[in-house]
Amino acid sequence: MSTHTGTAAKRKAPDSTTEAESKKRRSPTRVNPALYLFPLPAVAIIAVFLVMPTLQAFQYAITDWNGFSAAFNYVGVDNFVRAFTKDSLFTNALTNNLKFVLLVVIAQTLFSLLLALLLTRNSRGNVVLRALFFFPTILSSVSVAFIWKFIYDPNFGLANSALGAIGLDGLQGSYLGNNSQALYWVAVTQVWFHAGQMMVVYIAGLQAIPRELYEAAEMDGANKWQQFKSITWPFVAPATSIVVAYTTVQSFKAFDLILGIAGNPPKGSLDILSTRIYSTFANSEFGYAAAQSIIFMGMIALVTWLQRRLLRLTPKGE
Amino acid sequence: MSQISRRQAMAVLGALGLGATAAACAGPGGSTAPGGATGPSAPATGAVTGRVSFAHWRGEDKAVFDELIKRFAAMNDGVEVAQDISTSNDYNAQGLQKVRGAAIGDAFATFRGAQFNNFSEAGIYTELKNSKAVGNYQKGLLTAGQSGDSQLGLPYQVVFPMPMANTDLFDKAGAELAPKDWDAFLGMCEKLAASGVIPISWPGGDVGNGGQLFNCMIANNAPVDDMCAQIEQGKLKCTDDWFIRMLNQYKDLVPYLQPNATGTAVEPAQNLFSQGKAAMLATGSYHIAAVRNLGATFPIELVFPNTSTDGNAKYEGAYNATFILGVNSASKNQAAAAAWIDFLSEPANAGYYANQTAQHVSVKDVEYTNADLKRLSPWLDKKTALAARFQFQNLDVRNAVEASATAVISGTSPEQAAEAAQKIVDERL
Repeated sequence: MSTHTGTAAKRKAPDSTTEAESKKRRSPTRVNPALYLFPLPAVAIIAVFLVMPTLQAFQYAITDWNGFSAAFNYVGVDNFVRAFTKDSLFTNALTNNLKFVLLVVIAQTLFSLLLALLLTRNSRGNVVLRALFFFPTILSSVSVAFIWKFIYDPNFGLANSALGAIGLDGLQGSYLGNNSQALYWVAVTQVWFHAGQMMVVYIAGLQAIPRELYEAAEMDGANKWQQFKSITWPFVAPATSIVVAYTTVQSFKAFDLILGIAGNPPKGSLDILSTRIYSTFANSEFGYAAAQSIIFMGMIALVTWLQRRLLRLTPKGE
Repeated sequence: MSQISRRQAMAVLGALGLGATAAACAGPGGSTAPGGATGPSAPATGAVTGRVSFAHWRGEDKAVFDELIKRFAAMNDGVEVAQDISTSNDYNAQGLQKVRGAAIGDAFATFRGAQFNNFSEAGIYTELKNSKAVGNYQKGLLTAGQSGDSQLGLPYQVVFPMPMANTDLFDKAGAELAPKDWDAFLGMCEKLAASGVIPISWPGGDVGNGGQLFNCMIANNAPVDDMCAQIEQGKLKCTDDWFIRMLNQYKDLVPYLQPNATGTAVEPAQNLFSQGKAAMLATGSYHIAAVRNLGATFPIELVFPNTSTDGNAKYEGAYNATFILGVNSASKNQAAAAAWIDFLSEPANAGYYANQTAQHVSVKDVEYTNADLKRLSPWLDKKTALAARFQFQNLDVRNAVEASATAVISGTSPEQAAEAAQKIVDERL
């Protein structure tokens, strides 16, 4: 009997193990460890190229390291204090950058929305025009900078030549050479460069609006403005949120465009935060430049957060 | 195969993250600069073979260097020299970081002033005091490559950062090429303007090239020769009378510059000159080859904007000894890099470089066959001031001080421009 029972138990044992194993396999908290290897390359890349440099920036920011010496001193928050209280070049770059962001965000959002409204329908002409407006986006920023540098050249440039050709010599100017206007002319270039890309985002949003809503609105006697206000705008609000956030970050980081169009280093009227940080690095002030970079990072985060709070373009839950 | 829970996996990833954090917290400047306390050592000796990276910013000289590299390789079996070229602005900004680990730049060049000093402080140069090359240079021109008792670099080029002149237009206007004082210089500009040409083409939209005129304008105005170093140290001020006087002289130039000069980039400024629309190009002799390539066939001379008010000028011109050649202390192929520098420093090869690029060199016994160099060679013996703008160690200070001149040309009063510049200098004292 016992032998029989023992044999039965022996026979049962493997079954219970298999059951436990299959239970383990089914458990939502246990997975095959091999699966954890899949994200590892991405995690390693992010850790080495993003997390570590960011952490290092925080560490460098509290030193006076010059970028090449073995020796350095910890200076606490001095670099941050200096940036806001004792460095007019930095505050000038910050002011320029905020002005530039405001200009570009407003102009680029409105212009790309206007283009999208005009080119929403998939007619052949519209498709060609969309491609045309999108074209600058595929150019490299350095090429764009050089093209516009020569457009703005006061002696041989297209802008002054065109004005001269139609008898508007009085409007000819120095463009980038005029300190009070230079930033606006670069903003024009930035809008030209990226409006086509944002137009595509808006077109995607506009094409998702059901036609029936407009038909119903028309039947109710709503005019074009009322249709835009009550149907189009609420539906493209999420797209606007993307456009505004993207344009903000893009305008903060217009480094290559500014450097290409204004030279290195750019003059004061065209110096923005990213070019200022670059100049500070080039000036062998690594610690201070790292502090400026952290302020820059915080500034982008703050402005993006403020925009989302103030504009409330993304409906709750999306 | 054992299995781990999500919690365990998170713990492993967390540990990796902590490791990364700890690694990131390693202090900056972990490696001691080569050279260290014992000072720089001479380049290693050995077989001249293998690959040598030559880092510099003279893209326009690439073909000439290629030919010299061919000759060098023909003399040394198995050696290969590759040029790593950046634009001058980028090289000025990033050269040190690029060359530091010797991933590029076994042999390299630096600008005189801040860049040379940073390179020497970072221990990148080796000692060339006893090298074969050093004896080939004119002694007086070697100082720009010295640090203490060491001869770290060899300044290869001699350039004149002074306005270039189209002598045909000067002859036509009856204008004199060598004004004795400021009034004579303005009189010269007046005659040129009356003849229907733009007297001076100035690239005010380009900080690097536009700033060269500063070397001439400050030379005879400043009370001391190390005026820019003293401004940076706070011993002299931009608000001093002599500096304001200089800014007023900049203001005098406004009617004689091309319209909208502060927005003009260097290429259009070169075009105005090479097309004969402007009589002078206010950059320097280093642009001779560029304007020749743009089609200029007229004879070129140099003009010194003599700011002296009484005709007793201390200096008759300005020069710079730059393109300071060196051998990288971190290079694995110092022998070949040093041999390349020796080769460039031989009079025949330096002469080839000079004549092909239309740039004077500081190597002795060079025969200048290039017509432009021959014409300008007398300037090598004149009493010229070493370009002052390269005394600045802080690029923000340099740009701010030079920007005061640009501001005056765009309409700001000299006093206001000087105050704005001094504010930035004061912030960096």
